[in-house]
Amino acid sequence: MDQFMDRKNYTHRNPNPNYTPNYNSMQSLRFIQALARINRAAPKPTTPSRRTKQIRRAAYASMAYTSGSRHNWSRALLIRLRQRQRLRSLRLLTVRRRVRIVTPAMSRPEEPARAETLRRLVPGGKSMEYCNLLEETADYMQCLRSQVQLMQSLVDAFSS
Amino acid sequence: MEDEIHPLLHPAAPSGASFTALLGLPPSRAVELLHEPTFPSDPALVDRAARFSVFAAASSAQSTEVSPPPPLELAKKRKDAGSGNGKAKIKKGKPAEEDTDGENKLPYVHVRARRGQATDSHSLAERARREKINARMKLLQELVPGCSKISGTALVLDEIINHVQYLQRQVEYLSMRLAAVNPRIDFSGLDNFITSTTTECGRLTIGNTKANSELDPQQQQPVWSEVGVSDANQMNNSTSSKRPQSQLPQNQLQQFWHVDLLNAQNHLQPSIWAQDEVAGSTVPLLVFDRVNPVEPSIQSNQQLKMEL
Repeated sequence: MDQFMDRKNYTHRNPNPNYTPNYNSMQSLRFIQALARINRAAPKPTTPSRRTKQIRRAAYASMAYTSGSRHNWSRALLIRLRQRQRLRSLRLLTVRRRVRIVTPAMSRPEEPARAETLRRLVPGGKSMEYCNLLEETADYMQCLRSQVQLMQSLVDAFSS
Repeated sequence: MEDEIHPLLHPAAPSGASFTALLGLPPSRAVELLHEPTFPSDPALVDRAARFSVFAAASSAQSTEVSPPPPLELAKKRKDAGSGNGKAKIKKGKPAEEDTDGENKLPYVHVRARRGQATDSHSLAERARREKINARMKLLQELVPGCSKISGTALVLDEIINHVQYLQRQVEYLSMRLAAVNPRIDFSGLDNFITSTTTECGRLTIGNTKANSELDPQQQQPVWSEVGVSDANQMNNSTSSKRPQSQLPQNQLQQFWHVDLLNAQNHLQPSIWAQDEVAGSTVPLLVFDRVNPVEPSIQSNQQLKMEL
C-alpha cells in the first residue's frame, strides 16, 4: 500500500498525468488508511485508552511519513516510531546510537532561554541549531495544524 | 558571472521551494523572508557593486569582467559612497580575508556595509545569522495566529511554544474522540474509495474493488468513479448511490478534499455501499479541496470508456 504514497509511482498508475499529489491529500490518505488498519485489527476488548494511543501514533506517523525525509523533525519522528515499534514486537534491539554533537544549553548563549522548551516540543530538536530549530518549528506547526484539521473534520463527520 | 554567483547566493533554493510550498505562503514573499540576508533582491545590484566598488580606481580594462581585484579589503572598508543603493547589503560568498592574490578569480561578492557597522568577516557572518533568525521569527509570527501584534522576541517565543503545545493537546483530544467514535465506523469502505489514484482536480476516483478486498488496491479493471459528498442528513435519508453534486462554498473547502459521489451510472456503487455501511453510521463526508475547479463529468466518462 505504501507504493501509492510515493509520488513517482503516480505517473504510471494514474490515467491523469498532470496530477501531482499535494501534501494534504497524502496526509489524509495515510491517516485514513492507518485508521482503517486500526479498526480492522482491533479485537473487541480493546480499551478506549489503548485505541487512543494507537490513533495518536497513527496521526504522528501520517504526519511524519508525508513529510518524509525533507525535514529533521519528520526523520526524528520516524526513528522514534520505529524504535517503539521494534520494542513492542519484542525483538532484541541493537541500538546503534547516532553520535550527534549536542552542545548543552549553556554553551549557546545567543539563543533565548525559552528555546530549551521548544527543543523539547519539536521532535529531534535537541541537536539542531537555533536557526534550524525555528525553521523546523514552523514546518512542524504547519503539519500539526493540518493534521488537527483533518482529525477535526473526521470527528465532525462521524458524530453528526 | 551569474552562474558563478548563483550557486553561492542561492544555496538553499531547493529546500526553500518545498518549505514555502508547504507553508502556502506566496512563494516570492516567503523566499524573500528566508533568504533575505543571503542574496540581493536584484542581481543587477551585484553587478553594479562589483563593478563600481573599486574598479573605478582600477584598470578600466577589468570593468567588463567581474573578477575581484587584489585590494579586496579596499572594497570592504569602503562605506556607502557610490552605489545607488545606500543600504544595500550583499552577503559574501566566502569570507574574504587578508590574502587574496589577484591571480585567483574567486567568486567573491563585494560587500557593502551599512554605515557605522564593522565589516570584518566575523561580524558579517554574525549579522547574516541574526538576520536569518529574525526572518524566521517573522515567518513564525505569521504562522501563529495573533502573534503579529506582539513585539519582543521573548513574548513571541512564548506564544509559539504555547501554540505548539496547544496543537499537540488538540491531537491528543481528537484522537480520544476518534477512538470513542471509531468502533461504529467501518473505515475499510472509505479506505477503498480513497486508495485508488486521485485526480488533479482533487476529486477522488475509486478503483473497482471487489467487495472485501481492502488489502489489495491494485485492481485489474479499475472503473473510475467519483465518490460524492453531501452532508450527513442527505446521506441518512437516501441510501441509493445517486447523490446530488453538492458544491460547498469555497470558504468551507479550505483544507479538505472534495469527494464526489458518482451518479448511479456506475452499477457497482450499490454493492459497495451496501457492503460497507454499518447500521446507523454514515460514511464520512470528507470534503477536501485544495486546488482546482471541478472537471466536467464528461471527462470522467471518457476515462471510464478508456478503462473498460
